[in-house]
Amino acid sequence: MSGGWRVGVDVGGTFTDVIAVNRTRRDTRVAKVPSRSDDRVAGLLAALRAVDLAWPDVDDLIHGTTLVTNAIVEDDLAEVALISTRGFSDTLAIGRQNRRHLYRLDLPPKAVPQVPAERRFEVRERLDHEGQVLEPMDPRTVDEALRRIEESGAAAVAVSLLHSYTNPAHEEALGGRLRERFPFVALSSRVSPEAREYERTATTALSAGLMPLAASYLDRIEAARPADSRLHLFHSAGGMASPEALRELPLGLAASGPAAGVAAAGRIARDLDVEHAISFDMGGTTTDVCLIFGGEAQISSDRTLGGRPLRQPMVAVESIGAGGGSIARLDHGALVVGPESAGADPGPACYARGGSRPTVSDANLVLGYMAPDRIIGGDIRVDPAAARTAIAPLASAMGMSVEAAALGVVRVANSTMLRALRRVTVERGVDGRQCTLLAFGGAGPMHAVELARAFSIAKVVVPAHSSVFSALGCVSARMSYAQQRTLRMAVDEWDAQRLERAREDLRSRLAAPLAAAGCGEGEMAVEEVAAIRYRGQSYAIEIPDAALDDPARLTRDFLDRHRALYGFATGEPWELVSIRLRVSAPSTSGELRPAPVESGGSPSARTPSSSVVSGGSPSARTPSSPVVSGGSSSARTPSSPVASGGSPAAMTPSSSVASGGSPPARTLPCTFEAGATAATPRYDRAALVPGRALAGPAIVEDAWSTVVVPPGATLVPDEAGHLHIATGTGT
Amino acid sequence: MPPSADPVTSVDPVTLEVIRNALSATAEEMSLVVMRSARSPLLREAGDLSSALTDADGHLVAQGRDIPMHMGVMSFTVREFLKRVPKSRLAPGDVWFLNLPEIGGNHLPDVKAIRPVFADGAVVAFAVSLAHWADVGGAVPGSYVAGATDAWQEGLRIPPFRLFTARGPHRENLDMVLANVRGAEEREGDVLAQMAATRGAEEHLHHLFAEHGAGTVLAAIAAIHDRAEARMREALAAVPDGTYVGEDWLDDDAAGDEPIPVRVRVTIDGDRATFDFSETADAARGPVNTTPFIAAASVFYVVKTLFGPDVQPGGGCYRPLEIITRPGSLLDPGPDRPVVGGNHETSQRVADAVFRALEPTGPERLSAGGPTTSGLVLFGGRRADGVWTTFYETHGGGEGARHDRDGAPVVRVHMSNVMNTPAEVVEAEYPIRVECQRLRRGSGGAGRRRGGDGLHREYRVLCDDMSVTSMFERRVVPPYGLQGGEPGAPFRVTVVGADGRRRELPGKANVRLGQGDVVVVESCGGGGYGAPGTADSAHSHEIRR
Repeated sequence: MSGGWRVGVDVGGTFTDVIAVNRTRRDTRVAKVPSRSDDRVAGLLAALRAVDLAWPDVDDLIHGTTLVTNAIVEDDLAEVALISTRGFSDTLAIGRQNRRHLYRLDLPPKAVPQVPAERRFEVRERLDHEGQVLEPMDPRTVDEALRRIEESGAAAVAVSLLHSYTNPAHEEALGGRLRERFPFVALSSRVSPEAREYERTATTALSAGLMPLAASYLDRIEAARPADSRLHLFHSAGGMASPEALRELPLGLAASGPAAGVAAAGRIARDLDVEHAISFDMGGTTTDVCLIFGGEAQISSDRTLGGRPLRQPMVAVESIGAGGGSIARLDHGALVVGPESAGADPGPACYARGGSRPTVSDANLVLGYMAPDRIIGGDIRVDPAAARTAIAPLASAMGMSVEAAALGVVRVANSTMLRALRRVTVERGVDGRQCTLLAFGGAGPMHAVELARAFSIAKVVVPAHSSVFSALGCVSARMSYAQQRTLRMAVDEWDAQRLERAREDLRSRLAAPLAAAGCGEGEMAVEEVAAIRYRGQSYAIEIPDAALDDPARLTRDFLDRHRALYGFATGEPWELVSIRLRVSAPSTSGELRPAPVESGGSPSARTPSSSVVSGGSPSARTPSSPVVSGGSSSARTPSSPVASGGSPAAMTPSSSVASGGSPPARTLPCTFEAGATAATPRYDRAALVPGRALAGPAIVEDAWSTVVVPPGATLVPDEAGHLHIATGTGT
Repeated sequence: MPPSADPVTSVDPVTLEVIRNALSATAEEMSLVVMRSARSPLLREAGDLSSALTDADGHLVAQGRDIPMHMGVMSFTVREFLKRVPKSRLAPGDVWFLNLPEIGGNHLPDVKAIRPVFADGAVVAFAVSLAHWADVGGAVPGSYVAGATDAWQEGLRIPPFRLFTARGPHRENLDMVLANVRGAEEREGDVLAQMAATRGAEEHLHHLFAEHGAGTVLAAIAAIHDRAEARMREALAAVPDGTYVGEDWLDDDAAGDEPIPVRVRVTIDGDRATFDFSETADAARGPVNTTPFIAAASVFYVVKTLFGPDVQPGGGCYRPLEIITRPGSLLDPGPDRPVVGGNHETSQRVADAVFRALEPTGPERLSAGGPTTSGLVLFGGRRADGVWTTFYETHGGGEGARHDRDGAPVVRVHMSNVMNTPAEVVEAEYPIRVECQRLRRGSGGAGRRRGGDGLHREYRVLCDDMSVTSMFERRVVPPYGLQGGEPGAPFRVTVVGADGRRRELPGKANVRLGQGDVVVVESCGGGGYGAPGTADSAHSHEIRR
């Protein structure tokens, strides 16, 4: 193995973020390049070039991708044939019988089934809910189904038999037969071994429909990959997985991008010893919020995408349709923001690309938070006059100044996002006021402090590398696999043996790909989550680090959680509904703890900056656009790679001011209160000095994001490059 | 017509929206708490629950889950409650429970918890949690008494009853309730969940009042009412003036087998409307009666669906509406009549009657007749492990076709949107095996656009002495076609005995079945749109106004 680089690449819809870490050379490089949807593999190679690397230099490449997400949303799925238990092949068409739109008769009430009736086949067989065979599988019906599937021309086959989550024998037997003839076969007992036939069947069919796409993508990447370089993908539950595993279960990539950002947030929360945090990623059209509980991103298994259930362990991101592009309007005496969005095209009025309606971004520009000479996405120069023109009609209708109206737009947008914060915390019984808000993404750091104040949150952290955060999540990932399985075991009918068998089975299944990657059994970490509810209760409560060997302790833990969540607990009998296991390899390759760095340390990696980027390093170059790669570093001695990249000391200031002091780069008017527009200092993020507090009002910016520090708030950069902001309110 | 002027408010547009968002978040949170911590299986993903915040006088200002049927109820519950319980009797920390249909209610299983919220010693708001309990006592498990002929047979009637005070649970009152319902432990869980939801809301409201000041919050609430009213007026103004008459028919009243008419006369006059149900049949002997509150909910649903998707179910939205029900009629039967099925059967019939009345204003806006029935079949029996279980299942059917598309198969329409229970859950929790679940092919009505297909699902009874209750409609009067389309196939529930004998169940029946008997549910298909065989192009004329 040559170069010693570990590289995280997150390919998003618009941009590809990359961060490269070399531990032996103590070097970190970051860059952001436009994504290439026409040729994703070429885009990946371009991302490597942007940090001055070629693939042979890379030991481990960890890759997050929207490939699967897009395919689901755009319904770009292969034709699937489905095999069901006799009597149940219409389950996909029946669904859960509820309609999507309560008051819209014109819209179809539910998604058209992914697999049409002519490709849905049945076999005779039947299990009961305990996995007992009521009717053995009839081989003649199997032969018949196989014959008809071949005739149907389907590209992939999904198998979902009733109660297969308790006993996969029939599905496995069918799978054996199918694999003799078909390259892509998905079994529901492997994809989602949980009760509820519609969700399991839909999930399995979806995964099957993604298999050809995933295989061809992975084939192309593998063809470009040097033999001694390892490739991993970032999966929805916040870890990395091998290409082989994702060929089998491509649905595991459905939330790859958001999961990487949230995983990075979890990492930062652990590094900073923050007990509870909320990740806040605000983009152009949506805002993603996730609770980080005890340093772990919360996982959920019941998400939907494009109207289809995706029953896979995924980071529990709450996504709301509010972002920089959300349109503001007056509606019967109220200022309403969103859900309508100007999107990326035409985009906010200030993009001067044909948008004229006022958006949140326009408000941020009017208020001076966003710099008037800002360049968005490498080529869009914002137009402050257009922003004012867009906000002006709102202002006159409300009888306010343009600035006051813009403040209102921001305030209302924050109150919308507050609902998402409320939901993620209430669902887990966490007092949001005790959380730290971790803000990243393009607009997150701009809104974070005021949003935090509205939620009585005292602390905001804008982490280092906040603009390439998903790539950071990739590079700091551990290899892990997770799955949830339905058990149904009442406390008064405890069957320790059955439980142990189920745990062992899950454990060995999840450990297999880790072992194949060279991880020793003894090195693997196993986390077990138990889902428990009172008998008859609707939802189960998740108990992390579940004491599955000790029902008495499990009882106590359940009662404590129930009391914390709902304020009461009773002595009724409970049942273990399901267990979820995560088996992880140790994070040997990615030690990313921030380490103390002498202040004013020597330059190393650079963060891109909007004005001029000076490289302190041999490969320094002056880029013509703000899409900039990091140069290689000069020698420094931080104890860990991210520390070097993350530490502000490691960043070359873009102004001529030398590190060691931090006068503002410039001063421009900002409005924090109606009628009180005042000159406000703007600091280059790279020039901040660790430990030196910055009192609001102030703006801190780099090429990709703007941190707003309103009056009353105080920002302190730490040595790892994280910006800690005391909001001045809350606990 | 000119848009109505924006209402005058003394709160600025920004603060108004910030407060409105906070109120909505609070109501949403209440629903989450109930859904996750309550015991009744109906509150499971089925989500048969609602949450609301009202102002000090009981007018709705925010709701959590938007279930059309509950919105009307929630708009009236606290107002009616206050007629019985003056504010002087309320104290901080109180949680009152009630389920009387005549107090802004619908039927006994939907139990409401009401918590007054105080600021500076005065009531400023109420938090209300409505949840469908799996049992409220009465003659049969599940409290759906098909043969009920008076209100007292339907279960425990709870007038406004204080179950919690600032000191905690009022143990005697709680015991009184729990002693009169099946599954006392489960029900206590439901009570606690509803209490917990209102307590969370109280905390958030206190915070909101402290943050903005009572005057501002109250002004914002008044503005929310005004907006709801303005939007309703805009919606009505879009309907051509005139008088429209419509009717639809219930299959029977459970006691006899004569179809029963629901009739409405709609008068649209500018931005106001009257919905007069006086010509609807007299109160029924069986449990298909319902309350004026449910009639109002149905009217609101139809207006919002046809003309005003932005109309909000706030207190002000009812100001331009006059809804007339005749005392002694099906929709205003008085307190002694049974109502349990009226909640989801007659409410749908009211909606159908109003839709059909408004057909002349533009049939393109309407869908043909759909599964406007809960299709309810309720099983009560003992599992092999001795646990008594009640399985309550609603069955969707084929959606009615529209001018530009076929109806979808197996959905819920209009006043309800409750999910089904997966076969794998049914078999794990109840002494029942699901033999098959298929589309009922060919059940959708023919037409230029076809109605959606209904469902065919079979349940095999695995225990002795299973109590089975049916409560469904569209068995006799099928889902109607529109503009020449044909009706969908009617709803049918058949019992196939272990001995092979078949018998069709009436729409409202309580029967007892034994091991090996199979209940075959065939839900109705949707009505077709346009005469069958007519080409699309022949019908592409513009919308009639």
